[in-house]
Amino acid sequence: MQPIIELRNVVKVYSSPAGDYEALHGINLEIYPGEFFGILGKSGAGKSTLLNMITGVDRLTSGEVIVRARGREVSVHTLGENALALWRGRTIGVVYQSFQLLPMLNLLQNVMLPMDLCGDYHPRRSRERALELLRRVELEEHAFKPPAFISGGQQQRVAIARALANDPPILVADEPTGSLDSVTADHIFDFFEELVAEGKTIVMVTHDHGLMPRFDRYVRIVDGQLAEDPVEEVAV
Amino acid sequence: MSETPLLERRAADVGAPLIEMRDIVKTFRNAAGEFTVLKGINLTVRRGEFVSVIGKSGSGKSTLLNMLTGIDHPTSGKVIVDGVDVYAMNESQRSLWRGRNLGIVFQFFQLLPMLTLLENVMLPMDYVGMYDFAERPERAMELLRMVGLEEHAHKLPQAVSTGQQQSTAIARALATDPPIIVADEPTGNLDTRASDRIIELFSELSRQGKTIVMVTHDPMMTRRTSRTVILTDGEVVNEAVAKALPLLPHPMMREVERRAEKRVYSPGELILRAQAPVEHFFIIVSGTVEVLHRRAGARTWRVAKLSAGDFFGEIELLRGGKAIASVRAADDGPVEVLVLSRQDFHWLMERSVLTEEAITRIVQQRLEEGRRARRPQGGILGGLFRREK
Amino acid sequence: MRPRWQKVLSDIWDNKVRTLLVVLSIAVGVLAIGVIAGAYVIISHDMSVSYAAKNPANIEIRMDDFDEDFLNTLRDFDGVADVEGRRVFGMRARRVGDTAWKVLDIVAFKDFKANTINLLEPVRGVPAPEKGQIVLEKTVLEEISIAVGDELEVELPDGTTRRLEVVGVVLDSSTSAADFLAAPLAYITLDTAPSLGQPELYNRLYATLSEGQDDDAHIRAVFADLKDTIEKSGYDVGLTRRSKTHEHPLASIVNAVLGILMALGVLIVFLSSSLIANTLSALLQQHMRHIGVIKLIGGRNRQVFLMYLSLIFAFGVMALLIAVPLGGQGAYALAQFIADQMSFSLLGYRIVPISFVIQIAIGMLVPLVAGFVPVVRGTRVTVLQAISGDALRLQAGGPTRWERFQLRVTQALARRGIHVPRPLLISLRNTFRRRGRLALTLFTLTMGGAIFISVFNVRVTLNEYVRQVGNYFLADVTLDFERPYRLDEIRQYAMRLDGVTWVEGWAYASAEILYPDGTVADNINILAPPANSGLVSPLMISGRWITPQDRQKLVISEGIFDYYPDLKVGDTLPLKINAREEAWEVVGIFKFIGVEGILGYAPYEYIAAEQNLARRSYSYRLVAERHDRAYQKQLADRAAQAFRDWGFHVREAVPGLSTLDDASESLDILVTFLLIMALLTAVVGAMGLAGTMSMNVLERTREIGVMRAIGATDSAVMRMVITEGTLIGVISWGLAVVLSVPITYLLATIVSLAVFNTPITIVFTPLGYIIWIGLVLLLSAVSSVLPARNAARLTIREVLAYE
Repeated sequence: MQPIIELRNVVKVYSSPAGDYEALHGINLEIYPGEFFGILGKSGAGKSTLLNMITGVDRLTSGEVIVRARGREVSVHTLGENALALWRGRTIGVVYQSFQLLPMLNLLQNVMLPMDLCGDYHPRRSRERALELLRRVELEEHAFKPPAFISGGQQQRVAIARALANDPPILVADEPTGSLDSVTADHIFDFFEELVAEGKTIVMVTHDHGLMPRFDRYVRIVDGQLAEDPVEEVAV
Repeated sequence: MSETPLLERRAADVGAPLIEMRDIVKTFRNAAGEFTVLKGINLTVRRGEFVSVIGKSGSGKSTLLNMLTGIDHPTSGKVIVDGVDVYAMNESQRSLWRGRNLGIVFQFFQLLPMLTLLENVMLPMDYVGMYDFAERPERAMELLRMVGLEEHAHKLPQAVSTGQQQSTAIARALATDPPIIVADEPTGNLDTRASDRIIELFSELSRQGKTIVMVTHDPMMTRRTSRTVILTDGEVVNEAVAKALPLLPHPMMREVERRAEKRVYSPGELILRAQAPVEHFFIIVSGTVEVLHRRAGARTWRVAKLSAGDFFGEIELLRGGKAIASVRAADDGPVEVLVLSRQDFHWLMERSVLTEEAITRIVQQRLEEGRRARRPQGGILGGLFRREK
Repeated sequence: MRPRWQKVLSDIWDNKVRTLLVVLSIAVGVLAIGVIAGAYVIISHDMSVSYAAKNPANIEIRMDDFDEDFLNTLRDFDGVADVEGRRVFGMRARRVGDTAWKVLDIVAFKDFKANTINLLEPVRGVPAPEKGQIVLEKTVLEEISIAVGDELEVELPDGTTRRLEVVGVVLDSSTSAADFLAAPLAYITLDTAPSLGQPELYNRLYATLSEGQDDDAHIRAVFADLKDTIEKSGYDVGLTRRSKTHEHPLASIVNAVLGILMALGVLIVFLSSSLIANTLSALLQQHMRHIGVIKLIGGRNRQVFLMYLSLIFAFGVMALLIAVPLGGQGAYALAQFIADQMSFSLLGYRIVPISFVIQIAIGMLVPLVAGFVPVVRGTRVTVLQAISGDALRLQAGGPTRWERFQLRVTQALARRGIHVPRPLLISLRNTFRRRGRLALTLFTLTMGGAIFISVFNVRVTLNEYVRQVGNYFLADVTLDFERPYRLDEIRQYAMRLDGVTWVEGWAYASAEILYPDGTVADNINILAPPANSGLVSPLMISGRWITPQDRQKLVISEGIFDYYPDLKVGDTLPLKINAREEAWEVVGIFKFIGVEGILGYAPYEYIAAEQNLARRSYSYRLVAERHDRAYQKQLADRAAQAFRDWGFHVREAVPGLSTLDDASESLDILVTFLLIMALLTAVVGAMGLAGTMSMNVLERTREIGVMRAIGATDSAVMRMVITEGTLIGVISWGLAVVLSVPITYLLATIVSLAVFNTPITIVFTPLGYIIWIGLVLLLSAVSSVLPARNAARLTIREVLAYE
């Protein structure tokens, strides 16, 4: 099977007046369709940078990121900004620790927004679909509330529903449970496992080694490099 | 350098309570409803302690730190620092008090970008009016020298590395020579090498007598601290449980505490009698117990001493059978233990494979030590029965 | 609604304060332009229409007394449509019971019903008096507080008084339209005149033309013929005036004033657009994260761009909803005010389509233009910059040159042992952190300040000019008689009055300046003081002053350049004086206000001899030991009374500075307008500063939290913000001081060209500079106090959680 996401010798250098700083030192990584894939590491290790390389949110310095999805093989960093935005909107759903819902829109509109922007669904259809997605994350009854009126865990579920709006094959999550209490975090995880069972590929970044057992496969990143032994470091 | 020492050593009163948090509850309200982040925290930090506060994101540790620094109001409860009720002051008084008594180090450094490193370090002295105006530049320079940044003193923060920015932030936290340093994930945004330097700096401050309370994820850091407080879902995990069962997920630690029965034994009181059936798992919360091994003859041996964070009773529960040794409270004081029933102990073993493995390893070690102890030339046994790190 | 448009709608609705700020900044500019453009259109149209509607005389001739029969001979005069005769004479009058006298010009009509020229518009009461009654022109009410039904007391030359019943108030837009300084008018029937000691004869002729009423050359030709005929009939002609039917004599002045106001309105649009740019770039800054999210989930640049463009468009529409109706009302109110000042009436409230269109264009275009750069820049933000919420930190690059400069200065000071307290240092450096924003703020505040200061300079410049003009009228009291008296006699009597130190008798001649072809160019009033008189201190442009030996030589005001642009000292000028054409040599040219036509000076010695009035005069100038207004007025009253008591026929005694007061007064109206505009720009500037300070505080919320965490008290935080605001104020003041110089020159030149037809010497006053520094300090403190208080109120948790 061909990997759905393939990183080839990805290097990222940040330049600052204090000198250049290499955040990623040549990462090679293959993620396969239908995997629940974990990227572990402490903050500052470069795991979010790695995720940004996959989503095309940040430009790489050298190397290549290839995503094979929706019948297309795309070298992410050859896309122009607009093409990238459209491609990402259709191919990768992104979930952040801080939810990133638009505060001035209600939940339904937040979920509809990606469909509105990418134009894959007719406006009426997109409304139905958004309601379906909210039903899936058990928030249908709150559909017309603004994000500030629901809890953090609920907001994250809306963010996931939004990430699924254009039915992308890949879901990318950066510490999605980082701001949640342990019970809520568990729910989110259960939902991710359901999605994987349905065939989505999920890439998730976390610093919480306790989550290791729940991934199909994971890598550990230390100071911008994939660590050799993925297991040892244990939660204190 | 001036006559004032850079950092005043506060040897006096070491060990006296410096920070007391009493029944701190913090509830956030928003349109979605109420959310209690801290559910009645009681915590005492003694002068000179180096405390790390750990816990998952969302466990409430940053909120706890905010309660201590007076950055945020508790919903109920009191914070007393060095005899001062932090929340009896108004916001402005508290700012001044904080400037004089607490040095705060943030995860994202939070240097003011428009000031040079030196000016950043001088700023707290300006705000709280400590040291002569003319003395401040000199003192700030000394502090920068201490953290190894003298040559960069006149650069703006953006012109130095993140590690150097954090070193500067530490120098700034020391500007008014406060007795307490509070840090929120000070190495959270640094690479390993820069982290090492920061960890070294904190260890040095601890040696100099500063009281340090720090939220951290970094095991390298917790290894250097004198005490670790675990927070899970807004509650402090019993430190003895945490020490005894370190591999347990934090919510499980709380669960163990909840299921356990608290018992207190008076000095010298027998807790387990050898050869008697054992139905409980014991975790020592405070005090010392003596493990006494009965030899073939009538003489009794004192085999080992166990203290807070140690446990006993596991061998018998895992292997079945009667107590292989007697355990009694030491003569020097009462002993407080948490007692888990056989059923709960097995529940624990089932839920945490890592803990089961670790305890099994300890059982084997103890049995090995026990066998050696039964031999007369068994050697020095004290301490070997202790929990392996 | 589709979510993205819903977002635009919510952006407008959710942050009402910001929406209000943006909408108001747009509305201010639109309103200013709307008011001025509307007033401009209304005035320039109504002024001429309402002037023309009163059928103004194309020709006015002041001449010897004549009767109805003579008038009738002129009715069929070639080119003349209609003629009317009237008697106009000056009288002192007051309300019965008042103590102070005012001079009125009383106009006597034969028959009010037959009035066809210079029509009167009824305001109150009856417009046509009966015998023994009087009707007042509206402006009289500004001088004398009197109502219909009251009695007006009129003083005859012999000192006796008559009472006339006031029966009505009218508006007369034409009779003295050209003269700012004319005395107010009152109207009686001709058969009332005898009771006031006046004959039942006309002394003024008003004529309208049958064609070419707006053709100056034609009017002049008919006028010349008419005058010729009159003179050949044996009548002496005095002052004459020609005017077009559809052009108010003061139209050019009013238009010039409106033009200045328009320029200021355009400026306000500029200033408000910089305000809009500032606010919008702050808005986009705040929306950085939203833009990032939109791009993250598939939004393309064009979509984001369109969303924000429609947001701006909506702001524009809202501003128009406020500004357009208000602008219409304001335009009419301003027009009404000007019309009142100029004594003409408007044709009624209406919407001015062109100003409507201009407002819409400005309300739509200005925000789009001002917002374009911030929107494009905001749209280009990458997802990474947006999500990390800190585009600034990611913008790599060393300290800027300005930062390096600041650091070097601080270090240089430190080496000398001078340490700036760090909190002050923060304020200083913060000021220059957002240089684009600072520049826009400084621009608005500086322009406001510079105009404010300039208006004060213009005011003293105008007053100074008027004072210099006063150099031609240095006498403390001018005493005019009904008939000539011997110089010795008057001097002897006058010196008996307390306080009088000097007496001079002046002569006067009226003449016409001719073109080389013999046609009349303009009237000239020739004043003839004794050549050695100390009472004229002329501002000579070239040549010399008069000497006693001058014969057919004159010194002339620079208004002559309108007709003889190349005239030089030594040239001769054809004059028609006493119906004789003579060639006079111009020996000097001086500066003077050009309102009342051209003024010349010739020696008394020559003119009096020519008029057979040697050693006699109608008109005397008295100099007193004190020159203040109160004393002059008191002396005028005493002199008039005393000379009447001694049996002289006194016409009037006018205190010296009163003419100047009138002139200054009308200029003050103009200055008031300018000042209002200046204050408006200052307010826009202050709004800009307040906006900037709150944006700065908002952006630095996190830093403020850090400051509090390391010991800064509320007052320390507030001090920091206010210091920054004040610093910006002071810098803008410094810039305004510099900028006020060219603006003063510009404004003063435009105003003086409009009002005086001549550029005047610019004078500067410290007053504007002092008031503005006070005002700008106040404004900047006030506009930073609110943001500062908000900053101080933030708890640190909010601040550090602020992402």
